[in-house]
Amino acid sequence: MAKRKSIIKIKPRKYKVGDVVKVDFIVIHPMETGMRKDKKTGKIKPMHYINEVKFYFNDELFTTILPWETVSTNPYFSINMKVTGPGVIKVVYKDNLGEVNEKSKKVKPKG
Amino acid sequence: MKRRSFLKGLGAIPVVMSVGSLSLMAKDSKKPKSKNAISFKKALEVVTNGKGAKESDKVKLIVPEIAENGAVVPVKVNVDEPIENVKSIHILTTKNSNARSADVFLSPRNGKAYFATRIKLGGTQEVVAVAVLKSGRAIMAKKPVKVTIGGCG
Repeated sequence: MAKRKSIIKIKPRKYKVGDVVKVDFIVIHPMETGMRKDKKTGKIKPMHYINEVKFYFNDELFTTILPWETVSTNPYFSINMKVTGPGVIKVVYKDNLGEVNEKSKKVKPKG
Repeated sequence: MKRRSFLKGLGAIPVVMSVGSLSLMAKDSKKPKSKNAISFKKALEVVTNGKGAKESDKVKLIVPEIAENGAVVPVKVNVDEPIENVKSIHILTTKNSNARSADVFLSPRNGKAYFATRIKLGGTQEVVAVAVLKSGRAIMAKKPVKVTIGGCG
């Protein structure tokens, strides 16, 4: 199983308990539509896209995104989250070929 | 050498143009159909449970008017409703072979009903954001995007 690169960013960088922050998630993925031809072989490239992204905060699921192949290559998703205290954001993402990966980021509110 | 490449370039322009118009005409027959292909009408029905969506100012959709590259079109949606009332946000397109782009299911922890992503557009068309509320009602906003280079099949 190929290990994919992904990033979670929290914006703004400094936040307090009770703030609503932006959580950006970017993953390096080809997001193949299944409609493009390989220029060298002339064969159609098989469909390969992320079809589920789940956001957890302290193991509590709070957002589910179901993307389709019409999302751009190296998909970027941004959602809001209310900070209720310190914890861990965990993102679990799957693609249509059954690849499952996850990424986590600590939440450290100040003040 | 310079003259040669210049002439080549000159010759290529009309060829590209004619191929472009031809492929536009024969688009449906030539291109393979996506497994997930669904028309916009059907997708809207699925998303709203067959009830249809009303256009509303409460859904704020931010997309560029002209997208130079159809492969990367930033889409931002803000819904002016308390988060407790919003169940999900859906991003649809009117002419992509698969009209659906992303379905987002929110919960009160989100704080605000907001979603942003980047999508592919196969040509000039409308981007539609549908917000499904807890009551089952659906509201939407749509905006046309002009695409100069297609990105999605």
